[in-house]
Amino acid sequence: MRRSVLDQRWAGYVVAALSVGALTLLLKTVGAHVNAATVSVALLLNVLFIATRWGSAPALAASIFAMLCFNFFFLPPFGTFTIAATDNWIALVAFLVTAVTAGQLSANAKRRAEEAEAGRREIERLYAELRDAFERASHAEALRQSEKLKSALLDAVTHDLRTPLTSIKASITTLLNEVRVESEPVKLDAESRVEMMEVIDEESDRLSRFINGLIELARIEAGELQLRRRWGAVDEIISTALSRAEPIVRHHHVELEVEKELPGVRVDERAVSEVVYTLVDNAAKYSPRGSTIRITVRRSGDELIEMGVEDEGSGIPFDLREQVFDKFFRATRDGDVRTHQPTGTGMGLAIAKGIVEAHDGKIRIESGRKGKGTRVLFTLPIGDDEVSKEPRYSAATVEMQ
Amino acid sequence: MTNPARILVVDDEPQLTRVLRTGLKSRGYDVRAAADGLAGFEAFNDWHPDLVITDLAMPNVDGLELCRRLRAVSQVPIIVLSAKGEEKTKVDALDLGADDYVTKPFGIDELLARVRASLRRASAPTTNEATQTTLDSGDFHVDLETREITVRGKSIHLTPKEFDLLVYFIKHSGKVLTHRTLLAALWGGNYVEQNEYLRVFVGNLRKKIEPDAASPRYILTEPWIGYRFNSGDGN
Repeated sequence: MRRSVLDQRWAGYVVAALSVGALTLLLKTVGAHVNAATVSVALLLNVLFIATRWGSAPALAASIFAMLCFNFFFLPPFGTFTIAATDNWIALVAFLVTAVTAGQLSANAKRRAEEAEAGRREIERLYAELRDAFERASHAEALRQSEKLKSALLDAVTHDLRTPLTSIKASITTLLNEVRVESEPVKLDAESRVEMMEVIDEESDRLSRFINGLIELARIEAGELQLRRRWGAVDEIISTALSRAEPIVRHHHVELEVEKELPGVRVDERAVSEVVYTLVDNAAKYSPRGSTIRITVRRSGDELIEMGVEDEGSGIPFDLREQVFDKFFRATRDGDVRTHQPTGTGMGLAIAKGIVEAHDGKIRIESGRKGKGTRVLFTLPIGDDEVSKEPRYSAATVEMQ
Repeated sequence: MTNPARILVVDDEPQLTRVLRTGLKSRGYDVRAAADGLAGFEAFNDWHPDLVITDLAMPNVDGLELCRRLRAVSQVPIIVLSAKGEEKTKVDALDLGADDYVTKPFGIDELLARVRASLRRASAPTTNEATQTTLDSGDFHVDLETREITVRGKSIHLTPKEFDLLVYFIKHSGKVLTHRTLLAALWGGNYVEQNEYLRVFVGNLRKKIEPDAASPRYILTEPWIGYRFNSGDGN
């Protein structure tokens, strides 16, 4: 590095000497046609060139060498370093002062420009380094968050698989002890035996539902939800969901409020019926026996149908109304909502949201009437096939049990 | 006929409490269930059970908090139900005073064995430690005055620290002891993180008391948790 700087400086002196010599030779050759002023300007330009290219020291050397050449070749008496006329002395001194000053100024300007350029490059380098560091840090943070999320999801999934498995294993081993020859007698009456088997049956169903939910959720997340859209009536969809939910809503009043002259909708009936079933199931699970579950359907503008399921339970706090749609989130467990009611799988609302959004609809949660309970509302576009937009008539209000 | 032992089951999973209630009742225990730590603590105060079985993850007051609250007022044996992967919570529960743990999913026999062992320990006659001069437990006989120990009738020579460790194990036979509990009891509060001390001493002790130190039958390792001492009396 240092060697190259030195080389460059010596090159500056050599170029200074050669360029001044060459210029002098050129001016001397055309000597008759140039006066002293032209010579001095040409030599000054050469000094400026040296200064801007090689800096102050070679420029100073070029100034002195140019002054000597100017004196020797262009000021009378020619071929000597003596000067006859006083005004030529003045011209020579003026040339030297101008050359040295211009050379130094020009070299300083060059140095400053170089320093500014180096500063700019340094700032750019630091900025790039900082940006890279930030990118690395945010990448690492994103990875960490992603790992944390994976671990939380794994915990949730394993908990939901393990819990029913524990009940099944404990029941099975209790039943097995009855038939195994043991020193300690086992007293299991018929009622207990049936209860153990019921637990096994219910918990097997729970495992099955959980696994089906996982598969459905995975499909939605992968964008592989295959919607089979057909024209259908909203009341038929609700009727399918309600007949499936009949055992769940045995102890609730179910009210249907369906607006008159609703158009048909072009949706996947099975999927939308699943959404209604999930919302009714949640409403039954999280509201007291004997209370009312209200299902509403109305038009919302020209292109949307809005369906709602409302309960008279304890409601969902405002700050959890977005989170309840996250997979595996359970307000009763993760949201510190005080209740002794059973918790779900944490997948129902996530799947419902996936199905509604796959139909280009939206789902949201509000408080129920008079600010009590929960009302889940979702919209569905009516559809795009004009031919089938004939109005279908629905019962205004049907009350079940 | 003695009254059946009373067991309080605290779990937020209704299906599991149903199974445990039936399984334990079939073995003659008197069982009550509570859905969370808060209800569990209230049931404990009302009913004074002989043993508490509690889940760790529950809404409101969880199993750890229940252990803390119970230990503040009682020495009732506590068995915690935990899942694989919850080692830290398990250790915390044991450090807070839980006596034992069962990992989900478990067979009813495993839980019943732990219940029997905990009840047996709790009902063992308490001796005045200050006047007690000998300890007899399974294959072990200890003379606390002369500091002599015989295992399966054979005298063994132990260093003072090994002697203290073995006596501590014998006094807490059958109970899961966390690394932290053992270190605090034998070396003091400043050494609770020094698991390697414990490993060295347990290793030496096994060489002296176990018929086969490679597959120990007295000092059993509870992975990630600590040790459980089995004196050979069937606990």
